[in-house]
Amino acid sequence: MIKETRITLKNVGKINPESIDDYIAAGGYAGLKKALKMEPFSIIDEVLDAGLRGRGGAGFSTGTKKKFTSRSCQTCPQRYVVVNADEGEPGTFKDRVIMENDPHLYIEGTIIAAYSINATKGFIYIRGEYTGSIDKTRKAIAAAYERGFLGKNILGSGFDFDLELKLGAGSYLCGEELTMLESLEGKRGHPRIKPPFPAEKGVFGAPTLVNNVETLSNVPLIIANGKDWYKQFGTERSPGTKIFTISGKVKNPGYYEVEMGVSLRELIWDLAGGMSGDKPFKAALLGGAAGTFVDASMLDERMTYDNLREKGATLGSGAVIVLEEGDSVYDMLYNCLRFFKHESCGKCVPCRVGTSMLAKGTEKLRNGVPDKRALLDQMVHESEIMAATSLCPLGQSPILPLKSAARYFAEELTK
Amino acid sequence: MPKIVNLTIDNQKIQAPEGANLLQVAKDNGIAIPHLCYHKKLTPTGACRLCVVKIKDMRGLIASCTVKVEEGMEVTAFDNELEEARKYLLDYLLAEHDESYDGSYHDEFRELIFKYALDKKENRRFPSIWKELGYPKDETSPVLTYDAAKCIKCFRCIKACDEVQGKNVLSFTNRGIVSYIIGGFDKWGESECDGCGECIQLCPTGAIVEKPHREKINIENGIKKVRTTCPYCGVGCQLELWVKDGKIVRSNGVEDVSPNYGRLCVKGRFGYDYVNHRERLTTPLIKKDGKFVEATWDEALDLIARKFTEVKEKYGRKALAGYASAKTTNEDNYLFMKLVRMVFGNNNVDFCTRLCHASTVTAMLRSVGDGAGSNSIEDYETSDCMLVTGNNMIETHPVTATFVKHAVQRNGAKVIIIDPKWTPLVKDAYIWLQPKLGTDVALLNGMINVIISEGLINQTFIEKRVDGGIKAYEALKELAEKYTPDYVEEITGVPAHLMIDAARTYAKAQRPLIATGMGYSQQVTGTHNVFCLLNMMLITGQVGRVGAGLNPPRGQNNVQGVSDVGTSPFTYPGYISVEDAENRRKVAKIWGVPFESLDGEKGLSTVEIMQAAYEGKVKAMYIMGENPMITDPNLNHTEEAIKKLEFLVVQDIFHTETTPYADVILPAAAFAEKEGTVVNSDRRVARMRKAVDPPGQARQDWHIIAEIAERMGKPLGNYKTESDIWDEIAQTAPIFAGISYDRLEHHGIQWPCPDKDHPGTATLFLEKFNTPNGLGKLHPVDYAEQTERANAKYPFILNSGRILYQYHSSTMSRRNKALNDFANEAYLLMHPDDAEKCGFHEGEMVKITSRRGQIETAVRISEEVLQGELFMPFHYSEAPVNRLTRDELDPYSKIAPFKISAVRVEKL
Repeated sequence: MIKETRITLKNVGKINPESIDDYIAAGGYAGLKKALKMEPFSIIDEVLDAGLRGRGGAGFSTGTKKKFTSRSCQTCPQRYVVVNADEGEPGTFKDRVIMENDPHLYIEGTIIAAYSINATKGFIYIRGEYTGSIDKTRKAIAAAYERGFLGKNILGSGFDFDLELKLGAGSYLCGEELTMLESLEGKRGHPRIKPPFPAEKGVFGAPTLVNNVETLSNVPLIIANGKDWYKQFGTERSPGTKIFTISGKVKNPGYYEVEMGVSLRELIWDLAGGMSGDKPFKAALLGGAAGTFVDASMLDERMTYDNLREKGATLGSGAVIVLEEGDSVYDMLYNCLRFFKHESCGKCVPCRVGTSMLAKGTEKLRNGVPDKRALLDQMVHESEIMAATSLCPLGQSPILPLKSAARYFAEELTK
Repeated sequence: MPKIVNLTIDNQKIQAPEGANLLQVAKDNGIAIPHLCYHKKLTPTGACRLCVVKIKDMRGLIASCTVKVEEGMEVTAFDNELEEARKYLLDYLLAEHDESYDGSYHDEFRELIFKYALDKKENRRFPSIWKELGYPKDETSPVLTYDAAKCIKCFRCIKACDEVQGKNVLSFTNRGIVSYIIGGFDKWGESECDGCGECIQLCPTGAIVEKPHREKINIENGIKKVRTTCPYCGVGCQLELWVKDGKIVRSNGVEDVSPNYGRLCVKGRFGYDYVNHRERLTTPLIKKDGKFVEATWDEALDLIARKFTEVKEKYGRKALAGYASAKTTNEDNYLFMKLVRMVFGNNNVDFCTRLCHASTVTAMLRSVGDGAGSNSIEDYETSDCMLVTGNNMIETHPVTATFVKHAVQRNGAKVIIIDPKWTPLVKDAYIWLQPKLGTDVALLNGMINVIISEGLINQTFIEKRVDGGIKAYEALKELAEKYTPDYVEEITGVPAHLMIDAARTYAKAQRPLIATGMGYSQQVTGTHNVFCLLNMMLITGQVGRVGAGLNPPRGQNNVQGVSDVGTSPFTYPGYISVEDAENRRKVAKIWGVPFESLDGEKGLSTVEIMQAAYEGKVKAMYIMGENPMITDPNLNHTEEAIKKLEFLVVQDIFHTETTPYADVILPAAAFAEKEGTVVNSDRRVARMRKAVDPPGQARQDWHIIAEIAERMGKPLGNYKTESDIWDEIAQTAPIFAGISYDRLEHHGIQWPCPDKDHPGTATLFLEKFNTPNGLGKLHPVDYAEQTERANAKYPFILNSGRILYQYHSSTMSRRNKALNDFANEAYLLMHPDDAEKCGFHEGEMVKITSRRGQIETAVRISEEVLQGELFMPFHYSEAPVNRLTRDELDPYSKIAPFKISAVRVEKL
C-alpha cells in the first residue's frame, strides 16, 4: 500500500494561497534567499545533479536546459524565462493545483531559474480558461513585488527580475514551447522551425528558458534542501516526485503526488480507491490525447519516463484516464483524433490534412469497409508518415494513441 | 567571405558557403529536391515538408529548407522512404485541393502531381474533400482573385507581402484544414493591399492570379515574353511583358536582376493597358478651320518642316523651341536635342526635369559636380539611417521604398522623415519632422547648428575634401549660429528635441543616405534646400563611401537619361556646358556641322519658354510627350502663352490637355513598341525592348524627329537602329563612353562608365568630387520667408503632389482600369479642425481660389496635413491644381514652386 509523497503539493490545503505570509511561514522563499547567495552556475549544477527532468511531458533534463540557455549568446543583452502554464493536455490538471493552491511556489522557482541564467525578464504564459490560476498568480506576483522578491535589486542582491502574466486564448498548440513563444510575441499561434531551440533564440530572438509549472515548483525545494534530499525520492534516473491526475472509472479521481516509479496498479487501487464500479479495469490512457493506451498487462510496470518509453508507452504530463470493461476504446481514440484535427494549426501539410484523414479513417472503421484490419494498419502507417514529416509535436502525436490502441485493442477497433 | 564547406548530397560531392540553405545548395547543384513553400527570396517556412531529407547523425527526416550546410554533412535526398513520404504529402495536398486548371498561371504543385504520377486517380490514397471545407473565393481586389480551394497554404504570399514588400497586409484566418489567406481583416478589396502583386508573382499555384486578361492566357500556347524597363517612375524596374495576339496581357518582375529583383508596384504590374487603349493616336492630324483632320505622314511632316523653317526665317532662330520627354528613350531625346541645336540652331530645349529635380541637380552640380544620385538603390537596404526629405517614396518610388523597409524591418535602420504631410513611410520611421511648408532651410540650418555645437562634424573630411577647408566651414558655422533649436522651432513648428535627435542620428550614422524629393525641389528656394542638405552631408563627411551620400529618386523612367544625353538648355550630353567651346567643337565634328552653327548661348528653360511665348519671342514649338497644360505652373498663363504660338506640334500617344492647342498632332509609339535605352535614378542604363507593334500609323519618336530634320534640309545622321544612335551618344558623352547595347543585354550599367572594360560606377565621389578641383563646395544659405504667404484673403497654403495609382498628367495611368479602380478622383486634403471651422463635411465639393486661378474638387478630411495647410494630387485634369500654382522661379534652377500656393476654400 503506497502513500502520497507531497513535496510540491505540501502546502496545498494548508495555507491561504492569497497570503504570502502563509507561504513564507511554511518555509517559502527560503530557496530563493539561499539561491541569491549562490553563484548562478552552482544553482544550475545543483539542479543538474538533483536529476530533475521536465514535468511538462518530455522529461528532458532541466539542469541541462538551463546550462544551454545560460551559455548561449553571451553578447545578447537580454535573456528570458518563460513559464509554460498553458496546461491543455486532456486529463491533465496538475499545474492548476499548484497555481490555485500554492502560486508562490512556482513563482519562487521562476525567480531562482531566472537568477541562475541571468534573465531579467520573465513571462508566465497561462491558459486563458484557468481563471482561478490567473487570479491567484496575479495576486501572488503583486505580493512578491511588494515584498521585494520581484523587481529591482531583489532582497538586496543586486539582481533585477520582472515577471509578467500573459494569457493564452484557447489554442492547444500554444502549449508547444515554440508556438507559445510566437504567441507571446503577439503573433499567430504557428510553430517555429526548430532549431534554433529557445535556449539559443527564444522569445524576441533572445536566449530563453522555457519550463513547466511543476518543474519550476521543484526548484526551490532542491535549492532549499539540497540535491541529496531530492534524490531520496523516486528512481535513480527519474528522481523526485510526480503529480498524477487520475480521472475516469476510479472511486476517487483527482491529483496525487507520488514518488517516481510507482505502478499504475498502485495509483489506481492504493490511491484512487480502485475501480468505481463492479467492472474490471480495461485500459488507461496515459499522458492525455498525446498519450498512449495501455491494457491490464501494463498495470505493474514502473511509471518512469524511461521504463514506459521502453515499453512503448508514455508518462507524458501524468494524466491517467481509466476505462472499465465495456467502455469504448474506439470512442476514446476517435475523440483524441478529432481533437488533433480541431487543434492542428494548419501550418504544415501532414498535420493539417493528415489529422483530418485519420479522423475520417476512424469513422470508416465503423461505417463498413471490407478490410478493417488493413484500414487500421494503413492509418497507423499514415500516422508514422505524419510523425516523420510534421513540423511540430502536434503532428507527431496522433501516432501515440493510435498505435497503442491498435496494439492492445485491434479487435475492438476493427469489429 | 564565408568559409567554403564540403558536403555530399546523394554521394555527389558539393562545395558551398558555410551556413547556406541546404535546399538552395542542392538546387544550385542540379539536385531538384521537390518543394513548394520555399522561395529563395523568403525566409524558410517549413510548411510543405516536401523537401525532407536524411542527414547522417541526425534523427529522422529533416526539411532541407530549414538546414544550414556544415562541413562534412552527408545528405540523402532521394530514397524510397523519402519518395514515399513526398508522395504522401502531395496526396494530402490533393485531398484539400481543387485541381481544375485553366492554364492561365504557372502551377508548381501541378507539375509535381504529374511528376509523381498522382494525376492518375488510382495512384491516390485519399478522397478529395475540398468541396466540403467551404473554401471561399475572394474577388474583391481590383487586380487579383484569391481562390482558397487552389491554395496550398505555403505562406509564400504572406511572406511576399511582409518580407519582400514590407507591407504586412496578408494573413491566415481560421485554423487547421479550413484555414485560408485573407487580406487585412477579411476581404482583399477592403484591406490595405495596394495591388503590387508580389503575392501573385510568388504564388506557386492558381490561388492568387491576376484578374486582367486572364481569359486570354494559356501559358503553354502563344505567349511571347519580352523583357523591358517599366515606363513609369525612375526606379527602372525590369519587366517581363507577356504578349498574346499582339497585345500585352501580363507583366511580371524579372527576378535576380537589379534594380528591382522581381519586385514591382501596382503601376508596373497592372499599368500597361494604356498601350492598347482605343484612344491611342493612330494617324497624323492637321488642324484645319479649327478641327483636326487626318493626314498622311508626308503631309504632316512637310507642313511642319515648312512652318518651322518659315518661323526661323521670319523671326530668327531663337523663335523656335522644344519640349522633350522623360517618358521616351535616350535615343529619342538625343535626336530631339540634336534637332534643336543643329536644325533650329539654338539651345531652347528642355523637359519636365525643370519642374521636378532641376533644383536638386543644380545644387548637386555646383556642390559636388554631378547631378545624379551618388549611390546604388541596393544601398538603401544596408544603410543604417535614411533622411527622407519631401519624398513620399512609398507612393512615388515604391520599389525603392522596399529597400528602405528592408533596412528598417530587418536591420533596425532609422528613417528620419522631413515632410509637412504624412506619408506612408512614417509608419516605418524613427522620427517624423513636420515643418510648416517652406521652412526647410531653417530646419536644416538648425540641424547643422546642432551638429556643429555638439562637435559631430568630421574635421578630417572637411580639411581634405571640402573646398576652402576649415575656413569655408567657419563661414557656414557663422551662418548657422543663430539657428538654435528654439529659434528653429519657432519658425518651423518642429519640436526642438526631435530636430536635435534627428541631427544626432544622421551625423552619428555609419551609412546614412539622404533621399530627397519634390517637396524639397519644387520651391522657389529649391536649390537652397538642397544646398542645405549638401552642406550637412559635407561637414559630417557622410558621402564618398558605399552606403553614404545623397540621392534624388527620379519621377519618370528616363528623367535621368534625358538630362544625361544633354536635353537641356544649359548642357550638352554628359553635363558639359553649352558655353564650353571646346566641347561644342568636339560635338560639331561628330555631328559633321560647322562649329559656328552651334549656339554657344544658354537656351530657355521649360517655364521660360512659355514665358517667352507669352511675350511673343518664341513663335513655334515642338512638344514631344509632354503635357504642359497640366504639368506647367500657373496654367492660365501657360494657356495664354500657348495660344500665342504661331505654330505648335505635339507628338504623343494620346490626345492630351495640350493637343487641342496644336496645329499638328503626331502619333508616336509607346514604351512597349520601341527599342532604346533609359537611365534610372541610380544612373543605370537599361534597355527598352519592343514587345508589340505601334497602332495604326504611329511611329517611333526618333524616326519622326529625323524625318523633320531631313525635310528641313539638315539630316541628323544615318542611323539604322537605336544602337547606332546610342553609339553616337557614347561618343559625345564621356560618362557613357564604355557602354554599348551588347553590354546591356542582361544587366544595366551605372554611369560613369568611361571605357569598354569599365564595370560602371556604383558609388560616386569615392576619391573626389566631380567639381573642377575635385572638392565639395559648401553653400551657406540663410532662411528667407516665402514670398507667397497666407493672408486674410487666401488663408491656406496649398501643397501638391503625387499618389501611387496615378502618374504625372495621368495620360498613361488613367487609361488602365486596374489603376482607376484603386484611385480615380481628385480631392483636397484638409485638417479636421480647419474643416470644422469652414463647415465642410467629408466629400463636399468646394471651390479653391488662388491669386492665379480657381478649381473645384471634393474635400477629404485628414490629419495628414497640418492646420492651415492643404494638399491636392496634381494628376487630375478635372481639378488641375496647376491653375492655382505660380510660375515664379527658383533663380538658380528655374524650377517652379508647385508646393506652396496661398488659396482660399469656399463652399460651392
